[in-house]
This record gives sequence, structure tokens and C-alpha cells, in this order.
Amino acid sequence: MNSRERVLAALNHTQPDGVPVDFGGTAVTGIHVSSVAALRDYYGLEKRPVKVHEPYQMLGWLDEDLKQAMGIDVEGLFPWDTLFGFVNRNWKPWRLYSGLEVLAPEDFRTRVDERGDTLIYPKGDLTAPPSGRMPDGGYFFDTIIRQPPLDEERLNPEDNLEEFGPVSEEYLDHLTKAAPAAAATGRAVIANFGGASFGDIALVPGPFLTHPKGIRDVAEWYISTRIRQDYIHQVFSRQTEIALANLERIHAVAGGAVDVVMVCGTDFGTQRSSFCSEATFRELYMPYYQQVNAWIHKHTAWKTFKHSCGAVEKFLRGFIESGFDIINPVQCSAAGMDPERLKSIYGDKLVFWGGGVDTQKVLPFGSPAQVREQVLRRCEVFSRDGGFVFNAIHNIQARTPVSNIVAMIEAVREFG
Amino acid sequence: MADLTKLYDAILNGDNKTAVAVTKEALADNADPLEMVTSYMVPAMDEVGKRFECEEYFVPELLLAARAMKGALGLLRPLLAELGAEPLGRVAIGTVKGDLHDIGKNLIASMLEGGGFEIIDLGADVAPERFVQAVKEKNANVVCLSALLTVTMPSMKTTIEALKAAGVRDRVKVLIGGAPVTQQYADEIGADGYGSSASSAVPLARKALGK
Repeated sequence: MNSRERVLAALNHTQPDGVPVDFGGTAVTGIHVSSVAALRDYYGLEKRPVKVHEPYQMLGWLDEDLKQAMGIDVEGLFPWDTLFGFVNRNWKPWRLYSGLEVLAPEDFRTRVDERGDTLIYPKGDLTAPPSGRMPDGGYFFDTIIRQPPLDEERLNPEDNLEEFGPVSEEYLDHLTKAAPAAAATGRAVIANFGGASFGDIALVPGPFLTHPKGIRDVAEWYISTRIRQDYIHQVFSRQTEIALANLERIHAVAGGAVDVVMVCGTDFGTQRSSFCSEATFRELYMPYYQQVNAWIHKHTAWKTFKHSCGAVEKFLRGFIESGFDIINPVQCSAAGMDPERLKSIYGDKLVFWGGGVDTQKVLPFGSPAQVREQVLRRCEVFSRDGGFVFNAIHNIQARTPVSNIVAMIEAVREFG
Repeated sequence: MADLTKLYDAILNGDNKTAVAVTKEALADNADPLEMVTSYMVPAMDEVGKRFECEEYFVPELLLAARAMKGALGLLRPLLAELGAEPLGRVAIGTVKGDLHDIGKNLIASMLEGGGFEIIDLGADVAPERFVQAVKEKNANVVCLSALLTVTMPSMKTTIEALKAAGVRDRVKVLIGGAPVTQQYADEIGADGYGSSASSAVPLARKALGK
């Protein structure tokens, strides 16, 4: 089997010839740029600065040589622009607080404030209020909340729809070229088209917008899912119409090259609880997911990928009824997310894309032997009858010992 | 007299407007502010915590209840100060150096405030010396540290070391929490307690202070 066949076998719940592996295919299955650099050093690859292709979480681009060294089976197809609203092009040197030199796109424009924090600007526009902050000595950006004063009487759902509009010709041109190139790698292609994440809390503050309007404060948004449900319905409903029209145009130019589409990254789980009840999920979110996934399944061969961190066991049946084929990151460290139980109850209907190793404790703080042991055990549980794509639980973070990342990759190989 | 069960209900139901209105009405009727807090507001937040624990309430309901509680408490606080009412404890709380994620910290602060503690909210990305300062200058006897990221967890240890170096470690109980944090980690770094959820904050802080 080649990489693509291996992934497709797993997605079709049949046994591949080995556990397929994703790293770098999405913004939730990636590797921090400093860890990518450490891996390049470990494998003795050509010394060159790594590109930061996802500036919010500072994810590093995995070049072909590293993908081959790590045995990656998935190729990411990424959107035209980034979470801070600028396009990944015309790379320039940039330096992390750790001193590591990386490459960032030309519109990755930053300033250091009086605290020593690094501020980043939407669309690279230094005249706009900054939309992201990396604390002094930090490794990632966090969104800066720019909430205009809320006037309950004048709330307008259109204000929360500024970021959703018809895809540009420029973006379609990008996909027209990038999609076949991704498919030509022989790896399974996962597309990150965007537009169908309903209430993704990383996107709600609008870090890509110069002057966001509407409900942009994180706590206010969560409160709105309880007390302003009509408003949320109006946002999601219009967002769905826009997403379906865009998917049709995107499919026309890139559809044949794509195997999986990352539909939505909205988190429903916390470490021990959740952001809403199952009933609220079914009432407020599921109708829109069903429309998007139904369109995809009717018109394409794409598998649909849902990301949600945390304790989401109680939502899995709803995710399946929503038309999702794949769940990620399978946070086994959260309450009620026991691998054996998840596989036995949902394994014939959901593909587990993730769950391979714990990134809160074992991978960053454990020993290589502990990493190996957990990876072997997780592969054994999740890979039965296919339905498993190996990935760590969410992105591999900065300061993760490279010896542990390598132990993880070698354990997947050892399992076979 | 204002019906103070309406204050309890307003907090439980996250109804800020009613909580504020009932509090104003009660104060106009010369209700005892301390009685309002201890007999109605603290029990309401306690019930909110219980409902969160049994998954009847979720993050939005916690945020709404906290908002209502703060609305009422904002009116009562000056009166409580005049009465010289002593809080259960003084809590200096913040996300540790390098960590900007403060939703969890804010929820814990609200639960503690609603549980009768005075809150000294140091905000996000708080340097160890600012926790030390809060203990020295504001007499905090509880320090609550929050971290969401694995890369910022070590700042919890650094903060405890700073409290030791300043000679104030024995004056405070250090409680820690956040997604990647565990009891084992709390033990390793010498914290006095670990809270795994919003609802565990008040019992944990009470226990730490022997109250």
C-alpha cells in the first residue's frame, strides 16, 4: 500500500498494512516550529530555517525530507490565508524568544510592547489594533479580545458574519494549483478549506479582522450560546448558506484531489466537563453540521473530520448523526475518554484520528520508554479493524523533548 | 421586605438584572448585607457548583451565575467593608508567567468570591514577584495559580520558589489548577492543593485554611 491507500483503508474501517500517520496535515495535528527544527536536526536533514505556516500556534511546515524521515502518510491542503488574515508568501527571517531563527511570511508583522510581549497585527496592518499577543519568552500567540461595546438592542448577526463570504478567485486559483500538487505526493490529502466551523472559539475573536464587530469576547460568546440562541442560529444559518455555496465552487476546482476535509474545530469538551449539554449541541449546532456534511457526502467522496478537544464522549453519537466520519484529537486524558471504551462503542462508525499519545503529560514530561509503551498500547486498541490514523493528541508543543517525539515515531513503526 | 429568595434564584439562574434589582431593593429595606451574602449568595453559588459537577450546568451557566453574583456583590462590597466583615480568606489568583489563558482562572475566582473569599485578581501572565507582592502587601493567605499550557506549568514551581525566597511561603496556602495540571504535579512542586474543576475550588480553599 502507498500512503494514500493506507489512509483510505483506515478511513474505510479495513485493516491497512500499517498504522497510517499524520503530522502537519491540519492546524490541530501539527508540530510547533521549534520541535520541527529539533526533528530536522535529529534526522540530520539539511540545515535551514523552518517556515511558520500557522502563526497562531506557531506550527512549523514539514518539508518533504522530514515527512519521509517520519513516515508521514497525510498531506495538508491549506487555505489561502492564515488565522491572522495574511497570506503565507514571501518568507522572511524571524526569531523566537528562544533564539531560534525561523521563516515567517512577509505580512507576519510584529512589534514588541513595553512588557516585552510580541504583538501581531491582523492582515499585517500595523495601523490596526494588534490581534495577537505572545508573552515575553513565550512560544505561541493568543488572541487579543477586541470587543466593541455591546448594545443589546442593536446586536446584528451580520456583524459576526464579516469573516464569512464568497471565496475569492485568488483563493480558488491557489487551490487549483495546490490541490493536484498535494495529491501528487502520493499521500492522502486532507483539506482545510475553512468556513464551516460553527463558533470555533479560536476564530470568534476575529484575529484576522482589522476592526471586528459583533460578539467577539470569548466569555460573552459562550454566554450567548445560552441566552442569545436566536442570534447564534441566525449567524450559523447564514454561515451555512455561504459555506455550501463556497464548497460547491471549491469542489469544482479541487474536489478530485481531496480525500478528507477538516470541517470544524469547535471544541465542545473541557478537561472534565463540556461547554454545553448534549441537548444544546443537538438543538444549536447539529442542524448546521448535518447540512454541511450532507452536501459533502452527496457531492463528494470526501470523509468529514471533526475536531473537538476534551471530554466529548457524550457528544460522539451526535457527531455521528451530524454526518462526521472522523473524530480528532481523541483526548484520552479527559474525563470519560477511555480508549477501549471509545473503540468498542464507536469504533465501527467513527475513525479515531489522534489519541496516539498524551501531549499533556507523557509526551512532554515522560521518558522515551513511557512514550513507547503508551503509543504501542494505543495503536493496539485503536487500530483494530482499521479506523485509526495515528496522531498525538493535538499539536506537539514547544519544549517537547525530541527524544520523546522520535520514540513516538519509532513505536508506531515497531507496531507496524 | 424584599424577598431574598429572589436573589438566590437570580444568581442560580444567571439573571444579572434581577440580582442587581433585588439587591438594591433589599438594601433600601435595610437588609443586612452580611446576611444576604452568607444566607443567599454563598448558598446560590454552592448550588451552581453542584449543578456544574453533576453536568446540569456547563461553562455558560457558570459564567452567567458569576456575572449575577458579581452584580449583587458589587453593591454589597462597600457596605461589607464598612461593617468590617472578614472574608473566609484572601486569595491572590492569576495565570502564571507566560500563560494568557484566563477563562478557567476567572471561573475559579468567581466561585471563590461567591464562596465568601476576597479575591485579589492579578490577571493573566503574572510574574512570581507579583504573587509575592500580593502576599506581603495585601495579606493574601491563599495563592491560586492557573496554567493551560504544558510550557507554562514550570512557572508554578518558579512562583512557589519565589514565595519561599521571599520568606512568605509559610504564610500562604498555594493551590494550583488547569488542564494539564495533576495532583502528582502539585505534590512534586510542593503545592498545598490541586483543584480539578471549578466546583472543587471552594471546598479546596476552605480545607486548606481549615475552615
